[in-house]
Amino acid sequence: MTLRQEGRDRMAVNTIAFLRNHAPFNKMQPDALQFFAEKAKICFYAAGNEILGPNSGNVSYFYVIESGKVQARQAGEVTVTEYSILSLGAGECFPIGAVTAGRPSTNIYQALDDTFCYQLPAEDFLALMSSSPEFNLFCTRYIASLLSQSRRELQLQFAQKASEQQTLNSPLAGIGSRSPVTVLPETPLRSALETMSQAGIGSLVVADADGRPVGVFTRSDLLDRVVLAELPLATPIGEAMSKTPFKLDEHATAYDAMFAMATHGIRHVLVTDAEGRLTGVVSERDLFSLQRVGLRQIRQAIDGAADVAALQQAAAEIRQLAFNMLAQGVGAEQLTQFISALNDALTRRVIQLNLENHNFDGIEWSWLAFGSEGRDEQTFSTDQDNGIVFQPPEGADEAALKQRFLAYALDVNKDLDRCGFPLCKGNIMASNPQWCLTLAEWKNQFSTWIRIPQPEALLNATIFFDFRPLYGKTELADAMRRHLLAQTAANPLFLHAMAKNALDCEPPLGKIRDFLTDLEPGHPGKIDLKKYGSRIFVDVARIYAMATGVHNTNTIHRLRLSAQRLSIRNEEINAVLEGMNFIQLLRLQHQYLEGEPGTQGDNLIDPEKLNELDRRILKESFRQARKIQTRLKLDYQVN
Amino acid sequence: MRGLKKFLFREDASAQLPEDLKASLAGWRAAPAPSPDEPHFHTRYVVVDIVSSGLQPDSDKLLGIAASGVWKGAIQPDDAFYVDFSTLDGEGAAVDRQLMAFLLFAAKAPLVTYHVPYVGGFLERAFKERLGVNFQPRWVDLAWLLPAMFPAKEQSVMPLDYWIETFGFEGSGGRRDAMANTLLLARIFQMLLVRAGSKALDTTADLLDESRASSFLRRKH
Repeated sequence: MTLRQEGRDRMAVNTIAFLRNHAPFNKMQPDALQFFAEKAKICFYAAGNEILGPNSGNVSYFYVIESGKVQARQAGEVTVTEYSILSLGAGECFPIGAVTAGRPSTNIYQALDDTFCYQLPAEDFLALMSSSPEFNLFCTRYIASLLSQSRRELQLQFAQKASEQQTLNSPLAGIGSRSPVTVLPETPLRSALETMSQAGIGSLVVADADGRPVGVFTRSDLLDRVVLAELPLATPIGEAMSKTPFKLDEHATAYDAMFAMATHGIRHVLVTDAEGRLTGVVSERDLFSLQRVGLRQIRQAIDGAADVAALQQAAAEIRQLAFNMLAQGVGAEQLTQFISALNDALTRRVIQLNLENHNFDGIEWSWLAFGSEGRDEQTFSTDQDNGIVFQPPEGADEAALKQRFLAYALDVNKDLDRCGFPLCKGNIMASNPQWCLTLAEWKNQFSTWIRIPQPEALLNATIFFDFRPLYGKTELADAMRRHLLAQTAANPLFLHAMAKNALDCEPPLGKIRDFLTDLEPGHPGKIDLKKYGSRIFVDVARIYAMATGVHNTNTIHRLRLSAQRLSIRNEEINAVLEGMNFIQLLRLQHQYLEGEPGTQGDNLIDPEKLNELDRRILKESFRQARKIQTRLKLDYQVN
Repeated sequence: MRGLKKFLFREDASAQLPEDLKASLAGWRAAPAPSPDEPHFHTRYVVVDIVSSGLQPDSDKLLGIAASGVWKGAIQPDDAFYVDFSTLDGEGAAVDRQLMAFLLFAAKAPLVTYHVPYVGGFLERAFKERLGVNFQPRWVDLAWLLPAMFPAKEQSVMPLDYWIETFGFEGSGGRRDAMANTLLLARIFQMLLVRAGSKALDTTADLLDESRASSFLRRKH
């Protein structure tokens, strides 16, 4: 051994002695510690000096504090983690997220006391992460905790928005019309009526010169007190209005207003400030929209709905409830399944209602859901993807039967559209003769796609292989699934082609910039979170599920179950699922918070508009997408 | 007479060396010393500590050397040196080679230690006797510089353990091996470099001047 080597070894002994006293190093193998010690420099930072900040560029070292104290505080004005200032002491590490992702730190790290740090170069940090399972676990957990922190942040935003909107405890100041139309009592009737007509309103507040309301004039007053009383239109409105209108202070609650309306049989309550001046009008309708809806009520409303109109109302309530749940901190995984569950109930009711006009007694058939609905992963904007499988009885006229099913399916498709599930642009609907097939035809169709994996067949596979029976004879769908899995097992080339296809779309991670935002023509600066985000997870999960014979269609179930069968470590798959859930949650947030109520949201987000932490986590989530893609690439030898 | 004997001995020491060592030595002699006018960040300092059988450089034996490079603002994990002479019988070409290896490791860099008369004395004698080298590196003496740089803490020369305790390093008082001691000195030296920077002592030359001035002042007054 050379004397230099001897020197290095002795120095390493010194470093390892320190590491052994601190987690996670105390759990790491000797060779991992040796590696750390041979690569880590020791640096000194005098009290008050900045060690690292957003302006220092991409982080090139992983820091472990040997002695002293370091303050971490967030750069910028917005607080994105639950701490804004954090003090780190001996044995603590930073900046794990930034060094893992190879980007600048979002925090400013400053030495509070005289501080010594071990500094492991970023490349050696990554090498250590891949060679030491203990170290990997530590870092992965840390990043996962960042993920859950950000989720809590999101929930906070939702909760705030939700509480602004709902509950009967809200003060009247925030409800109803904020700038009601008023006229003076001297205003001639003609002029007042013109005002009402122009503004398209049914009632008018009459207020004095100081803005204090003295009366209300409504359409029914017009009938009773003007037309029937034959009052000339030149009469001042003060003589025709209902005097002594019901007023409430703006600090009164929605409940007070509701109680007043019920007690006095009125439809409007005037809202005034402390001086008695008019600040708003609350109508009965404003209060109804405040009432919270519950899961049970919606289920009852759906199951008891007598027609499509009732179901339309229920569909709107599903959206509202989903939003409330988001606000209450329900995660993306549960939430999408919950939306799916209610949408399922709604769809089933539409199917049932239409069966009153179509009779299929004695015929085995099943309504199938495909795509995201088939995977239980519906977001707020999901169009219809459905089909029918049926088993013609012996000797039946198959073609005639199919016509009957098509006619029925058309009615269902139209009703679903009315309930907020837009018709499928690609015409993947049960009313399309292509997707209203007998069991034998479906099996045949699956076999053809699998045997000849043309691009179109592969595309179809990504939609149709995620099928789930919604109504009717589920045994038919089970038979389809068994057939599908048997066929894919017998045709390894098909899965290979699927893998190749799934790898066409890569997560939008830039080599220089954090994100590639120019992938969507016509939407510069945006990332399609479906196409370049969740779909990557979905595609990979489908392939592994088929390869390992997993019957489930839900992506999370598929990944969990196939990971078990492939002996993929739990931590690894959890990190992947966290990443996917985060992207899903961002999609939900985007669709709900940014979409106009009642319109279809898109999946295009602008990463620049995310806060620091979300951006970091989104990047990490994309890295998880890349990780499972890489695994797929290796497993299927796709170049 | 004694001077002449020393002179002859040195000649002998150098003349008796094997050819490869002579070549290494010639190479070391020919190599230029790094400029003392570079900023600290670009200067490689070698922090050194020794093990000896006693405190008298003239009579006690040098038993080991531990050294570590400090540059680019860090203690560099791949730039270290350690030799333990006690495992050898103290004679023969092996010791010469090890001393030569240290010369090559130090590469005429400024050397940093605590109490130069002790550490420097042992090294000087060893290099003179074994290799015939008049070892006169640029020395940075922490013992003198620390009171000059941290006058608020202490203004006179103190034992090393005093500073270790003052700066709050662990393991003061206990026994440390030479490498652990060197690494402690290296850490203290890093603190000192930051302090020197704030006093506009930006280069090796500045630091050496300060070191000489402070030792002069303190010895005189």
